[in-house]
Amino acid sequence: MENSAPTKAEKKPRMWVLLVIIALNILASWAIGPVMPHVQVAPEALTPVLRLPVLGDFALTNTMIAVLLADLVLFWMAFRVNRDLKDGDLAPKGLAGVLEAVIEPLYNLTVQTANKWADWIFPWFASLVFMILIVNWMELIPGVDSIGYFHEAHHGAPAYEVQELFSLGGFELSTITAEVEAAEAHGEALGFVPFVRVASTDLNFTLGLAVTAVVAVQFLGVRASGVSYFKKFFNFDGVKEAFSKKKDKRQFAGLFAFTDIFVGFLELISEIARIISFGFRLFGNIFAGSVLLFVMGSLIPVLVDSVFMLLEIFVGLIQAVVFGMLTLVFMAMATVSHGDH
Amino acid sequence: MTPETAANLVIGIKYLAIGLVMLSVIGPGLAIGRLAAAGLEGISRNPDAAGQIQISMILAIAFAEAIAIYALVVAMLLLFVG
Repeated sequence: MENSAPTKAEKKPRMWVLLVIIALNILASWAIGPVMPHVQVAPEALTPVLRLPVLGDFALTNTMIAVLLADLVLFWMAFRVNRDLKDGDLAPKGLAGVLEAVIEPLYNLTVQTANKWADWIFPWFASLVFMILIVNWMELIPGVDSIGYFHEAHHGAPAYEVQELFSLGGFELSTITAEVEAAEAHGEALGFVPFVRVASTDLNFTLGLAVTAVVAVQFLGVRASGVSYFKKFFNFDGVKEAFSKKKDKRQFAGLFAFTDIFVGFLELISEIARIISFGFRLFGNIFAGSVLLFVMGSLIPVLVDSVFMLLEIFVGLIQAVVFGMLTLVFMAMATVSHGDH
Repeated sequence: MTPETAANLVIGIKYLAIGLVMLSVIGPGLAIGRLAAAGLEGISRNPDAAGQIQISMILAIAFAEAIAIYALVVAMLLLFVG
């Protein structure tokens, strides 16, 4: 192979570029001190609120923009892979080759876990993994959560003093210099709304995915075992046995009937708790990670944030894979027919 | 007690509550440690089953970590919404 490790002559320009970037970073944070951004759980709306007849209030939020961007990335990957595979090459080059190295272990895992239903389960598993992975890794891109627009601060809302960097015709680029209370600002105090915010920090996104996954599990259960799938939750077989004519079946049947009904009810509660568990696991991990990046970035503006971004790469990957794997495992468990005892 | 003292007291107790909530992550911490130890022991006994053991171990660790995340979410709600 021609280009293995970079030679010493090639390493030097890269090192100089890195040192220049670090020097610019130090200069920028010395000129304009870092300000801790305002963190809120609810996503910020970018458009005025629209009142829909049945559904209630609707506004385009900055997390929806992140989801749309992730959709565009996924569509681009799909079209690229389709084009790369058109020649029928057995060893595809380009994006198709890279994605094949990712999809093959996922598919093998699916086949290992759910033997017959792997072809039905795999699209769910892989889509969840890719979507959540792209959305989680968006918080590492510079500009997400930091580029946005300023607006008049309401009383009591967090507001910032703003310094203009440069303006070009009608377009004005400003940056935040300090955080002030909206009431007592002597200059102008403006509130800040980022254009793009990481979608997994929005409870709507994570809980929506969780509800979708759990409902899909129920759907797969009904598809595998028919309507008797719901006997897992409403288990009245013990009651039927308690009233049977045969005397030997009736011993202790009352106790079994009671425990069966109780266990079925617990299964139902556990299934609903899964929605909350899925949603909050993803939300908590990524929200905590983004708050960590904000706080570390505003405390020590140079170099420290990079370490935490390494951690966030790892956490984003693990959370995406865990969400997908848990969905896979629950789907596989739903296809196994209940009632072997 | 003046209203100002009462307001400061409430803010102080809020931060105390946030700290107390996060004490509960000792449980998931211990659980994850035990899970990892069991996983490593299983892999060392039977290296051929390493793939399956790893997958089950990661799954179980995700369940345990979710409990810690619940506590973190309560703390964050207290901090940013309370």
